[in-house]
Amino acid sequence: MNWGISRREFLRRAALFGAAVGTCELSALSGFSVDAATGPTIAVATKRDSSGLVRAVVDALGGMGKFVDKGDVVLVKPNLGWARKPDQAATTNPEIVAEIVRLCRAAGAREVKVMDHAVDRPDSLLLRMTGIEDAAKAAGARVGLASSPAMYERVELPKGRAIKSVDVLRDLLRADVFINVPIAKVHGSTGLTLGIKNLLGTVWDRGAFHRSRSLDQAIADCATEVKPHLVILDAVRILLSNGPKGPGRTAMKSTVVAGTDPLAVDAYGATLFGAKASDVGHLKRSYEAGIGEIDLSRIRVKHV
Amino acid sequence: MYSRLRFLRRASQIFFLVGFLALFSFAAYPLKSPIPVDLFLRADPLLALSAMVSLRRPIVPLLWYSLPIVFLSIFLGRIFCGWVCPMGTTIDICERVLHLRRLSGQGERRWRRAKFYLLIALIVTMLVPAAHRSADEFGLTQSVGLSAVYLLDPIALMTRTMTWVGLPVAQWSLRMTSDTTTAWSYSNFVDRNPKLNRALSPIQLALASIARPVYFRLGFITFLSFAAIVALGWYERRFWCRNLCPLGALLGWLGRLSPVRLAVSDRCNECMRCVNECKVGAITQNPKRYRGPECIGCYDCIAVCPQGAISLTTGYEDGARNDEMELGRRRVLGAIGAGLGAVALQKAALGVKRTDATERVLKMSSLRLMRPPGALPEDEFVSACVRCGECMKVCPTNTLQPAVGEGGLEAIGTPVVVPRVGACTQPCNLCGRVCPTKAIEPFEIEEKSHLYLGTASVNRSACIAWAFGRECMICDEACPYNAISADVAEDGALRPVVDEQICVGCGMCEWVCPVEPLGAIRVNSGGDRRHLGREKQKRARMEAERESTEKTLYPGI
Repeated sequence: MNWGISRREFLRRAALFGAAVGTCELSALSGFSVDAATGPTIAVATKRDSSGLVRAVVDALGGMGKFVDKGDVVLVKPNLGWARKPDQAATTNPEIVAEIVRLCRAAGAREVKVMDHAVDRPDSLLLRMTGIEDAAKAAGARVGLASSPAMYERVELPKGRAIKSVDVLRDLLRADVFINVPIAKVHGSTGLTLGIKNLLGTVWDRGAFHRSRSLDQAIADCATEVKPHLVILDAVRILLSNGPKGPGRTAMKSTVVAGTDPLAVDAYGATLFGAKASDVGHLKRSYEAGIGEIDLSRIRVKHV
Repeated sequence: MYSRLRFLRRASQIFFLVGFLALFSFAAYPLKSPIPVDLFLRADPLLALSAMVSLRRPIVPLLWYSLPIVFLSIFLGRIFCGWVCPMGTTIDICERVLHLRRLSGQGERRWRRAKFYLLIALIVTMLVPAAHRSADEFGLTQSVGLSAVYLLDPIALMTRTMTWVGLPVAQWSLRMTSDTTTAWSYSNFVDRNPKLNRALSPIQLALASIARPVYFRLGFITFLSFAAIVALGWYERRFWCRNLCPLGALLGWLGRLSPVRLAVSDRCNECMRCVNECKVGAITQNPKRYRGPECIGCYDCIAVCPQGAISLTTGYEDGARNDEMELGRRRVLGAIGAGLGAVALQKAALGVKRTDATERVLKMSSLRLMRPPGALPEDEFVSACVRCGECMKVCPTNTLQPAVGEGGLEAIGTPVVVPRVGACTQPCNLCGRVCPTKAIEPFEIEEKSHLYLGTASVNRSACIAWAFGRECMICDEACPYNAISADVAEDGALRPVVDEQICVGCGMCEWVCPVEPLGAIRVNSGGDRRHLGREKQKRARMEAERESTEKTLYPGI
């Protein structure tokens, strides 16, 4: 089902609808139940090869043409934070990144940039070891790690509660389309790292998040302004212990989750670990900050 | 024919200088050079002599690379100095470019013997038993020398100047220029021009590759000393090569055996052109004689002689060459004394560390003496390290820095891990692959889980998780060896705890710690384990791993 409306429009309608429901309840009209189809839509693909999974979820959301117009500049943000090999599940699967680049190219994107702000050093080693540089370059993208503060620009967070501003990657702010491509992992300090946590790789000073009143709140604050147009969660192989860097136990899930609601994708992602999204601190705070929908019963899940 | 010789010599100098710079730039991740990047250092006979004599054992790769230069010198004299040495070429270029005018004439060589005395003093520092390998055996073979050769060896000096001064200055200049122009152009016109913005984005991305310039401590002092060496050209051309270079002294001494020599024919009318032209003052007042151990074989004298009186000949008959070094006996004794004094001074200074004779463990009073993985036990390491800085050049995270006070006076300039600058990143073993004297022995990446650098410890009164209840645990995130785990408080807050059996001290935690400026988790060198050898370190790690249990918050379904 293609909704064919913008997210803002959708949120407006959802709010109106919620108000209507509230009014109905006030009117004590029993027998009215909330339809599962009222929330955001996410697509979940399983049991395919990595690139097939990406194609399946993107098709289920209406095709890449719905997000990328001809001549657009696209920024793809994988998790490229650690000097780890792809099979250690600490960084995004290179095949998934490459397939997204190909789809963007096919949709007419003028330029596709694959960028991240890594934690490990050195950049050249990371790009090579994670396999993302070779795969994405072959697919037709520019790949780079944003390692200079001059590449970031100050963004105010008016809704921020723990932090008031962040320095965000300029290429992201200038891009027409921003696609967040996290990998699902357990995380030593935030429990899980999925799409919303992956946004930390677009800011310069991560230390400020840790020093702030609450790391979970700071992550939610950042997500109020850094908004992906599309989230594609790589859960082909997930990291189950010693996250986020590993090496730890990994599990083959052969799953890719995609959606336009960052929180809805993460809410589904949490179930892959047997966790409830509302128990994960930064997801709960993100819900409170109005990032998106956290309740799976209100999210339309298209299994493909 | 002989005028071509001058052209050939200059071409050779340029070739070797470019080669030296090229190999220097190849010493970087992922290190795929068909020629060893430390070729010049390996081929330096003085460094080979120093490492082997002070360690009291042959180092085979060094032997193979340095023997050709030894034979070259035996046959052709100090031709290395005139045709190959990158230091000599740099001095030549600087003297030409800076128009250094000579203050003194080409008179009697007052200082020329100094280099031989310096060489003698340096050989003494290699021989003196400065530390003992083991507690129960004493004697020359069970000891190590405390070589001071690093001070004056031209190849080591040149390489470290390039690493500590040339590289950071070049990178910072680029970085500052690109950052300033980027910021200025975006705020002034790029933002208002979408087309320009798009056109510039590839350049912006390319600039990211030079985004992290390196820096090194001791850079300024190194610059000053190199500048002083060049500036001495004011007094005499190639002052360094004539008077100070111990490598030149060694090669000149070997060259006394050379059968290749200059001959002066009867056509010489004593016009003194060659005397004035000679870069190293090898031709004295009598232009029909020259000093063999001084001549660097540039053969400019042949090229400039208007009479064509000078030629190259072979043979051992007494001719124009004077092979006497004319060393004074008292000065030689003085040089030996100076060598002894240099060692004693280094051992006595600061008293940062001592080898405990009963426990066979190195006691250190510096917390921050963390050596790169694969480093020899401390005393052997310090005597083998020639401070060339090649390991620091190749280190991709800039964590290897020249020691300042960490290891005492004797260890100044040796590599130490400084985690706040960068961590010893796990998938890397480059420092062991480029060390010319094998002071850092080659090691496998898999061995890094047990090659000990130090141990991290959390300063709980500064850690924002322990002291202020913040959600952090970034040290746990970043630890590549899973040595950090979470201590769960009653309210569910997570605080980092280090498993000191597993931690090897790579410094990743200290590097990422958000507590400024020093970090609340610090790596300390406490309990050096290098003397145990690799096997024992490996076994200890395996036992520790067996004991540690895996903890995870979400088990997965």
